Amino acid sequence: MMRDAVALSAATAISAQGLTKRFGDVRAVERLDLEIPAGEFFGLLGPNGSGKSTTVHMLATLIRPTAGGAQVAGCDVLTRGSEVRRAIGVVFQESALDRSLTAWENLRFAGALHGLSARETRVRADELLALTGLTEKRNTPLAALSGGMRRALDIARGVIHRPRVLFLDEPSTGLDLMNRRRIWRFIDGLRRETGMTVFLTTHYLEEAAGCDRVAFIKAGAIVRRGVPPQLVAALGDYIVEIEAPDTQALAQRFAGRLGPCIVDHDCAFFRVRGEPAEFAKLQAELAPQVATLQVRRPNLNDVFLWVNEPEFRS
Amino acid sequence: MTARAVYAVIEREIIRLFRQRGRLLSAMVRPLIWLFVIGAGFDAVLQHSGAPSYQYFLVPGILGMTMLFGAMLAALSMVYDKESGVMRMLVVAPFEHYWIVIAKLLGAVLAAVIQAILVMVLLAILGFLRGALAPAALVAGILGTAFVCASLGMLVAAWTKTLDNFAVMMNFVIFPVFFLSGSLYPIEHLPPALRVVAMLNPYTYGVDLLKHGASAGGGLFGPDFAITTDLGVVIGFTIAATLVACVRFSRDTAYEPLIRFLAKNRNE
Repeated sequence: MMRDAVALSAATAISAQGLTKRFGDVRAVERLDLEIPAGEFFGLLGPNGSGKSTTVHMLATLIRPTAGGAQVAGCDVLTRGSEVRRAIGVVFQESALDRSLTAWENLRFAGALHGLSARETRVRADELLALTGLTEKRNTPLAALSGGMRRALDIARGVIHRPRVLFLDEPSTGLDLMNRRRIWRFIDGLRRETGMTVFLTTHYLEEAAGCDRVAFIKAGAIVRRGVPPQLVAALGDYIVEIEAPDTQALAQRFAGRLGPCIVDHDCAFFRVRGEPAEFAKLQAELAPQVATLQVRRPNLNDVFLWVNEPEFRS
Repeated sequence: MTARAVYAVIEREIIRLFRQRGRLLSAMVRPLIWLFVIGAGFDAVLQHSGAPSYQYFLVPGILGMTMLFGAMLAALSMVYDKESGVMRMLVVAPFEHYWIVIAKLLGAVLAAVIQAILVMVLLAILGFLRGALAPAALVAGILGTAFVCASLGMLVAAWTKTLDNFAVMMNFVIFPVFFLSGSLYPIEHLPPALRVVAMLNPYTYGVDLLKHGASAGGGLFGPDFAITTDLGVVIGFTIAATLVACVRFSRDTAYEPLIRFLAKNRNE
């Protein structure tokens, strides 16, 4: 039994059993189970306040779980915190950088904190500055860098010691599309090069499309897991999205014809199987009454929208 | 490996000290104001009573003050780190969290010692560091006071969440510690209540060590305690305060403010 656990740990980057955190009577995370193999790109997805950050903080040994346990890189988060931290890198939702230091000084500080020698730190910092396009900003004080540059530098800070497991907690919050793409190219490059495991949390679900596996979390509990293309395919072939003043009535009218429907605010979403042959007819019929009518392929946002629907779950 | 991290924390503290010119400048000017304004004022009054020079008596006191402010400000950078988020970098590093307290403590000690040396150079130039210098006692006094102030700062920092209450800290920690010590007047002649408070104040013993090292005045203005007593209190307090700060910091995660915030949002 013990031997099995050890053998498992070599190939498992992160595992959690019944991981729970309560703050007073607030349940932040409730009985979370995870099993993430080494090298996987895993996404924990959910709205703000659903327990994503708390999960990351527990796995990164920064807060103690109320109940349950977890192992990261083969070490128990409760009893071998320092060893876990040696193997991981964490990029937090908010910046961890020092505004009074320059870009290079921040990386040097981070490298030294992880026990890298001055030479190792210099070599890796130069590499990372080049990869993030910040070589010219090496000696610029942090306060003079743009938000996108600071974020890129913060991620460089999180990987300077070449962690085996990287936690990215909402890494692209507040970034524009260009910077977001640049950061993802950088992370993809690192993954290919080092084979590190990436644990991503985000509420930008488009970002998670590249994940090997995802789990949706709501109010501290995982409500659905799977492989993104399969989850999306399970929804249907198309989503018809209708925005209208009286969405409820519209939803009832078309539910039988189009397929299962869900209403979110002013929008009705229908899951459609097969080709939407009726689309032209539908458009003609609805055009005068609706604000928008859209037929598109489903994505992870739709998966999240349907996550609580019983017919989809079964 | 941890040694490298400790060194990096100390190095960052010193970089910040020299980058914040205002902080360094006020550390130099503050003691001189005391010496030349308050010291000269009292000197003028005391001269008639035939007492020894009050300005010379003040030298150890203002050296102590330099270190009290210097070490406290450096120790409170711990709070700045919590607020600004730099603490995140420290808490994910691969060593036990009490090392953060120890590294910050050493950084604060070094910042205080550097400022004390700069003030001593100023005092020497101005002619206030002459006569009865006892080098060994002076070194012990500087290190002892720096450690007492730094560990007191860590103790305060371990319980402080934001820099908003810095004014509170000034009023309820730094000023009382300074005024209720032997820095401005010999303890011996204080009213009993104040005397007891001053004797319970660990900083008093650091300043007393400085008096052993650099006091020109004997008799009335001489040290209040024996060197061994001073050393005992200084070492004892430093160890006790550091231990308490380490335990408190390791238990109370650096994320508490963030977690409270999240928990509050969830409640709403």
